[in-house]
Amino acid sequence: MKTLKNLFKILIISILISSCSDDDRILPSLGDYENGILVTNEGPFQNGTGTITYISDDYTTIEQQVFNQVNSENLGSIVQSIGFNDELAYIVINNSNKIEVVNRYSFESISSITDGLMNPRYFISSGTNGYVTNWGDPFDNTDDYIAVIDLLSQTITSTIPVAFGPEKLILMNNVLYVAHQGGYGQNNILSVIDTSNNTLASTIEVGDVPNSMVVLENNLWVLCGGNPDYTGNETNGKLLKIDVTDNSVVQVFDFLTSDHPKHLSADGSHLIYNLNGVVYSKDEADISLPQESIISGTFYAMTTKDGKLYATDAGDFASNGTLKIVDLSTNSEIQSIQTGIIPGGVYFND
Amino acid sequence: MKGLYLFIASFICSASLYAQLDSIQYLNEVVLVDSKLEEFSEGYTLTKISDTLISRNLVSLSDLLNFNSNIYIKENGYGMVASPSFRGTNASQTAVIWNGIPINSNLTGQTDFNTIATASLTNVIIRSGGGSSQYGSGAVGGSIHLNNTIEFTENSSNELTIYYGSYASVGGIFKRKMAAEKKYLDMAVDFISSDNDYEYVGLNRKNNNGEFNKLNISMNGGLRLNNSSLIWNSNYFSGVRNLSGTITSFNKDSYKDETFRNLLTWNSTSKKWNNIIKGAHIFERYQYYPNRENVLYFEGKSNTIIGDYQLEYNINEKITVSSILNLTHIKAEGANIGNESRNTLAAIFIWKQLVSDQLSYNINIRQEFLNDFENPLIVSIDTKYKINQWYSLKANASKNYRVPTFNDLYWNNGGNIYLKPEISYQGAISNEFYFKYFLFNMNLFYINSKDLISWQPDINGMFSPINISETENIGFEMAAKFSKSIQKNIFNIGINYAYTSAKNIETGKQLMYVPFHKVTGTIDYRIQQFNAYFQQLFNGNVFTTTDNSTDLDSYLVANIGLDYFFLYKTMPIKIGFKINNIFNIYYENVAYRPMPNRNIQTTITFKF
Repeated sequence: MKTLKNLFKILIISILISSCSDDDRILPSLGDYENGILVTNEGPFQNGTGTITYISDDYTTIEQQVFNQVNSENLGSIVQSIGFNDELAYIVINNSNKIEVVNRYSFESISSITDGLMNPRYFISSGTNGYVTNWGDPFDNTDDYIAVIDLLSQTITSTIPVAFGPEKLILMNNVLYVAHQGGYGQNNILSVIDTSNNTLASTIEVGDVPNSMVVLENNLWVLCGGNPDYTGNETNGKLLKIDVTDNSVVQVFDFLTSDHPKHLSADGSHLIYNLNGVVYSKDEADISLPQESIISGTFYAMTTKDGKLYATDAGDFASNGTLKIVDLSTNSEIQSIQTGIIPGGVYFND
Repeated sequence: MKGLYLFIASFICSASLYAQLDSIQYLNEVVLVDSKLEEFSEGYTLTKISDTLISRNLVSLSDLLNFNSNIYIKENGYGMVASPSFRGTNASQTAVIWNGIPINSNLTGQTDFNTIATASLTNVIIRSGGGSSQYGSGAVGGSIHLNNTIEFTENSSNELTIYYGSYASVGGIFKRKMAAEKKYLDMAVDFISSDNDYEYVGLNRKNNNGEFNKLNISMNGGLRLNNSSLIWNSNYFSGVRNLSGTITSFNKDSYKDETFRNLLTWNSTSKKWNNIIKGAHIFERYQYYPNRENVLYFEGKSNTIIGDYQLEYNINEKITVSSILNLTHIKAEGANIGNESRNTLAAIFIWKQLVSDQLSYNINIRQEFLNDFENPLIVSIDTKYKINQWYSLKANASKNYRVPTFNDLYWNNGGNIYLKPEISYQGAISNEFYFKYFLFNMNLFYINSKDLISWQPDINGMFSPINISETENIGFEMAAKFSKSIQKNIFNIGINYAYTSAKNIETGKQLMYVPFHKVTGTIDYRIQQFNAYFQQLFNGNVFTTTDNSTDLDSYLVANIGLDYFFLYKTMPIKIGFKINNIFNIYYENVAYRPMPNRNIQTTITFKF
């Protein structure tokens, strides 16, 4: 935060200087949406468009429907997530089966990728390739795949068939880990993809419904929600530690059978997750799960950055949601900001 | 009082203010199967939509009510799932009553107005206000009555209508009626199919995945014995629809509906006593195909068996008491609800008194038994005071309810078996004025509903229904009808206006998809064989989010039509030509789901 403040000061000073002299040394602004938080809002479930909310780092500027405003068009139905590559943002729109590629700082549309996507979920880039998880037909468990996008031509060049319900992606040492949350059902594996040849290298069995992952040093932490009660085969949530040097599961923390945690993220050495209406923080080194929660709330999306927790509340799912920002050093809320309808993802544009 | 044999004439004088004046007929022996509709509802506003109007809106009940009533219809694109909001209440708080039998789906609690074929109906009556005491669950905002009448008069006719319209819409209706003094039989087959690929005005795009076809077969029969009659009503409907996408999504899903209803009614009448015994079976089934190209589908179906015994006794010329015992057994099964059943026993008591020539009132009490949930005691009172020849005052107050649906209770996942019925209290006052050329009606209503069932996310983010919201609806309705003949020129002008404030009490916000203003207007001009008409609908803006942060623009859409009659003796022919959305405006009834551009409907009808 301090560096940010300093940067800000420099920016202001340089603006002042530039205004009284015709000096060209000013730091060029990359766009209106540089240095801020982006929230993806899925939009109404059946009829409407998703949107993106921009919040400046100092919280003074809040703009709704960023894409729609800049490009004068609808983003699409169910804005699922955003992935980044250099100055480009890849906005994944689930129900419209497309990815809008925009300049992440100006939000000006660069292109749309539509061919080859079917229920796209998440995007990650590695070198000149982008990878997008796709459910395919959500009622067909055999047609799920990873679409590989050539980032130079912005087209899908190949697909990697995978087990059903691929969701979030994480990249480590040119290896792609894909969590198979299981679409509308449940699955219990990670796919390991070698990005040098875009093939499925192996799968790792984890707990049921792996819903979120973080990397700490050489370890991949995977949070599994467990099968919910209504499946008739309820299983407990699990937190797993995987050593990525050999992809072995080195540690497993079991939750109670009726506990279904989600939204794993990391704050320093702390693992943060949401369970039963509260948020827990576990030090990576702790040998057991924490008993004391840090804050309360059931969140639709949750992530951490630089000592702050960013958590969204979708309310009744038929009205504007909110983004809560919590200072993790004091566990107190510092901001509550209105978003669009069903805020499902929080990203940082620095 | 003539018991169940009801003279249409007296009905028109008292209750049916809005019957098409030019279609008034005086018939001797007409049986309306649901006799209690007019008999015990004098303090309510009844609006009758005649077969003339039905023939102008042949495609669905949605079209018919959109242009001819104060009911707001929310339609997911033309021909798609359509649900009503009556006086600002929710979709499962309007009961649809077929020949006296409630037919709202046991699974969803609603009737999809695009799955009701209207061509075979004699008339549609809209009863404004709560009617749970007589019609049970769901009659909160009001009820829509689909009626077939049985006429024991010598008459035999055939009628064939061929329909052709824009978007490759084709259809046909064949009706045959055979009636004698003691026997009656009619049947009607009604088919329509449409590509429904209308243009989104100004967007250079077409409606995708909107094809539909519907088949309806209806049969009604009657036998008149000495002091009794036996009546049979039957209706089969089968519809297949692809579900239209939105501006932002392309759909591939498809939906099949099937319903089959049978009702047998035996009436026996004596001077003082009236016995009515009814037995009915209703079958409903839906099949949802997430991808119409695949074989996978989800199904839900239910079978309802109804036994109903009504005993009516005229204590004297002024007082009638009626008691009804109704046993309903429902068995439902589906991909998401398993196998479930419900039995309901309802006991209804009605007291009707004519205090004087001017003043009458009804008291209705209903108690249910056997339900798994709280059995509500339902009461209503209504009265009519005929102040003079041209002015009547009506008032009613009632408690009404809506039981949780099978989906609410048992849906996997999220269903909540601990739900209670939704309860509502309401009152309405109406003023009716009758002049020679002019009829006018004004209603004020108030509805307070609580324990409304709403699906909300729980602590784990799973959606589950709970009895949570409370709403308060206040509104004003106005209807005027002007009718005059000048030599051979006949003019009919009708206008309806409704103001509806429907607020969630907790948030103070207007409910989603309830317009503050709705206006419909009709101008009808007839000279000899020509009949020209103009229909207009204004829907005020509606909120599309619960926090009222986004809304949908108001719109005004108009249709124009012309009918010409060839009065051949052996075979009269009617040719109908209609242009819908004559001004070709772009409008959405549900957000991101555009409605049709200007389009044409033509019909030709042969009578023989």
